[in-house]
Amino acid sequence: MKNKITLWAIIAVVVIGSIFGIIKLASKSQTPDSGALALTVSAINDNENIKGDKEALATLIEYSDFQCPACGSYYPILKKVSEDLGAKVRFAYRHFPLPQHKNAKLAATVAEAAGSQGKFWEMHDLIFQNQSDWSEEKNAAILFAKYAQELGLDLARFQTDIASDEIKAKIENDYKSGVKAGVNSTPSFFLNGKKINNPRNYDEFKNAIEQALGQSN
Amino acid sequence: MTNSKTLLSKLLGSPTKKAVLIGLFSFLGLVDASYLAAKHYTETIPPCAIVKGCEVVTTSQYATIGLPAVEGGISVALLGAIYYLIVLIISIAIIDTKSDRLKKFLARFSVIGLLASIWFISLQLFVIKALCLYCLVSAFSSTAIFITAFFLKKDTSVR
Repeated sequence: MKNKITLWAIIAVVVIGSIFGIIKLASKSQTPDSGALALTVSAINDNENIKGDKEALATLIEYSDFQCPACGSYYPILKKVSEDLGAKVRFAYRHFPLPQHKNAKLAATVAEAAGSQGKFWEMHDLIFQNQSDWSEEKNAAILFAKYAQELGLDLARFQTDIASDEIKAKIENDYKSGVKAGVNSTPSFFLNGKKINNPRNYDEFKNAIEQALGQSN
Repeated sequence: MTNSKTLLSKLLGSPTKKAVLIGLFSFLGLVDASYLAAKHYTETIPPCAIVKGCEVVTTSQYATIGLPAVEGGISVALLGAIYYLIVLIISIAIIDTKSDRLKKFLARFSVIGLLASIWFISLQLFVIKALCLYCLVSAFSSTAIFITAFFLKKDTSVR
């Protein structure tokens, strides 16, 4: 009887100990610190998709992939941050469609096509809100055309823009600028030109931006 | 065929040795699955990486099972950890009690892990098209558990 209790007790201790250790190991931050060699990013130009005050003291650039679930999870956080701090911060969205996401490039093209009719952010919102609907869809273009209709876009122009080389080049440019800045995952954020570790939630995001605002004051 | 089967059964050792082996395999699976589950729940929002591999697999829609009551779904790694914990407890109970009924139950129960592993490996190979080492370790341990449990059942007199 005593042996039995010892056996179960030893195993319970080993199992609980290992699980505890594993959880500690896994919860260590995986995002590599930018370290001494701070990664910087190219400055914003007028052609880009910008939201918020253009004269703002802080600039947040997001490299994002419309089909990436993590970017989808950040979408409501960023929306709230931009609503709350919109006057103090300008937000720029840059495309970084990852090769494993088959509809990501199309989604980026669709957002840009809407952008050429002045509705980039409206389309951006719709694409993220409906991410799970179109992500694995073979004919995502049909859904995107529906969103364009919803936004009251000129559909003929929208279709021409989707095929345009200019928009393709713009997305390609964004991607290249990301690679140059060391982006290897999405979303990646650059605050005032410097890469930051991805904030875990709304509060961390707000704090990071407010800190940057404090510094530039 | 029968000869090679008995040979393998002998290689695996006495019933107690087999139960110990199952315990070790399930411990390996438990550690592996808990690591993935812990990563899933502690990294609030794991990013999508450019390199194909674990990130692609663990951030895919197949990494969670949707339940309306649970926001974000249940991580399949967590279900895996629970499965291995149950197998571990049963294997120790077999070492402890040498119960034939438990051996028989374990042989049936281990089919769940085997099928789940086949499902996840096929998803990775044919749908996600990326392999994650942690998932391969898990597939190895559940297959090993299934094989050992099958031979452990053979040792029993219960049919």
